[in-house]
Amino acid sequence: MSVSKTKTPEPELRRSVTPWGSFAWGYSDVGADIFIGLGLVLAWGAGASNVAFLFAGVVYVCIGLAYTELAATYPVAGGGQYFVMRGLGDLFGFIAGWAVLLDFTIDVTLFAWSSVDYTSQLVPALVNSAHPWLHFVVVLSLVLGLCFLNVLGVRESTAFNGFVSALDVLSETLILCLGFLFAFRPDLLIHAMHFNWPAPYQLMLATSLAIVSFVGLESISQAAQETQRPASVIPRTSVALILTILIFALAYSNLALGLHPWHPITDASGHAMQFWQIFPHNADNQGKAVALLSEQIPYYGAFAALYVPVLGAVLLLISSNSGVFGSSRIAYAMSSANLLPTLFQRVHPRFRTPVISIVFFSSIAVIELIFAALPALVPSASALYSRFFHGENGLEFLADLYAFGAATSYSFVFLGLIALRLQDPLSPRKFKIPLNIPMRVRGERVDFPLIAVIGFIGIFSILLFTLRTHALGRIFGPTWLVLGVILYLFYRHHRRLPMLGSQRRDWRTEQVGILRRAGELELMDEYLANLKASDARRAGQA
Amino acid sequence: MILVGIVILARMVLTLAAGIAVLPGIVLAGAMIALGAHRISLILRARKAA
Repeated sequence: MSVSKTKTPEPELRRSVTPWGSFAWGYSDVGADIFIGLGLVLAWGAGASNVAFLFAGVVYVCIGLAYTELAATYPVAGGGQYFVMRGLGDLFGFIAGWAVLLDFTIDVTLFAWSSVDYTSQLVPALVNSAHPWLHFVVVLSLVLGLCFLNVLGVRESTAFNGFVSALDVLSETLILCLGFLFAFRPDLLIHAMHFNWPAPYQLMLATSLAIVSFVGLESISQAAQETQRPASVIPRTSVALILTILIFALAYSNLALGLHPWHPITDASGHAMQFWQIFPHNADNQGKAVALLSEQIPYYGAFAALYVPVLGAVLLLISSNSGVFGSSRIAYAMSSANLLPTLFQRVHPRFRTPVISIVFFSSIAVIELIFAALPALVPSASALYSRFFHGENGLEFLADLYAFGAATSYSFVFLGLIALRLQDPLSPRKFKIPLNIPMRVRGERVDFPLIAVIGFIGIFSILLFTLRTHALGRIFGPTWLVLGVILYLFYRHHRRLPMLGSQRRDWRTEQVGILRRAGELELMDEYLANLKASDARRAGQA
Repeated sequence: MILVGIVILARMVLTLAAGIAVLPGIVLAGAMIALGAHRISLILRARKAA
């Protein structure tokens, strides 16, 4: 059954997410990223890992502010794809959405993979280098299991999300506080930065990997459609979320470089090593960095060694599930906007879930898993990867594509924000990112957002770093986009819709409907008054 | 959070001689203090509203 062909009004999502629920929703998505990003960045960034996180973190704050403004102004579930489509048109909206879909499929595999890595800290049989086939089978089972559960319509509850998020925030805060109070030595940090500063190529690679720790801001806009009074709640919870994630990333990287280990760490010849030195050329350690770090906190580490791997594995699995769920939801939104075939809107007659979207994007996640696991499973494939792709391991392959998808979609979101400020100055913005230049465009007062320009330059540099340094990412990422654009053009041609242009849409009526459905009646009245004043001014000028 | 931020800030300030290398630590301390202050302001606002 195609939803678009029915005459009945589309069912709306229930607005039942509270401020804490909104924070937990975002945190369960973005908060898990540091569990993956830390080890990868320490492996390549060495003494400059904290600088890589700082650069990516500044860009992330700009992205977070942009998403906060856009989600509070246009509280719909489409996310970046919707903002870009509204600001830049259908084709760019499709490209942004397609890049987000790449990220969601990677999200499924990468987080399931890392969830198994964290579990391997307690179950050594799951260590990838020792038992690659078992590792592969378990990750594959998790991906297929999540796909099956999503087809049935089983999701973890908001309450469970909130509980795990609260537990994780508490645990990470405790680890960092105790770590900085009892195991951190600034002289070790300075020593690592002075004597282990990486080459420019490695620093670019580390910076592009650091953005992996900040992916998932789509959840802010996803939550917006189900939050009560989103224009008021989203800015409050987003600022807390942005700062929390930034602090965790900066804190972990600084602590890892300046950590005085509780138990001495030595290399094969018995020489003492700093903590961060266990990550280069060791994919097993890279996949469970937070668990390894927490073990090294004096006394508390004995307890943390038991529960952090479990907490990490659960949080990562929730994030993996959000990839399965999110990809089907974005595909549904894109299909509703005629950016993807209506096939992706079809729901299962019994389970009422978008079964085709779920199965299609889970299948892509499985293909990505096979590419990632291949070098460990088949020796001849490993030789091929070494020859053509700098010998990247599975985790790096997935992180490459994750960074590429995020940098591409975020770049378009900044451009979309700038375009919307210029084209739609009449929509009330309860939250506006700071540092604006006032100007007049077509007779209307417009605030040009400087932060969006700074953020765009930052994220575009990260995209260039990704293309320059990721041997696999620069092939598979653009290939994904090109294949998507071909699919889009073919579909638009088939439906006799503008291929490079945009469909005509009445954004004014849509905005009124969005604000009414969100319960933001004051903002709706303000918007209608703005429209009336603008129309009267134009009529007077004419 | 504010307390740990102040401790980190104090320890990083003691190593100011290392130059630019202390910057990430100082940014971290500043962010921790800002988040702590943000949370306190939220709690105070909620109490005021109640």
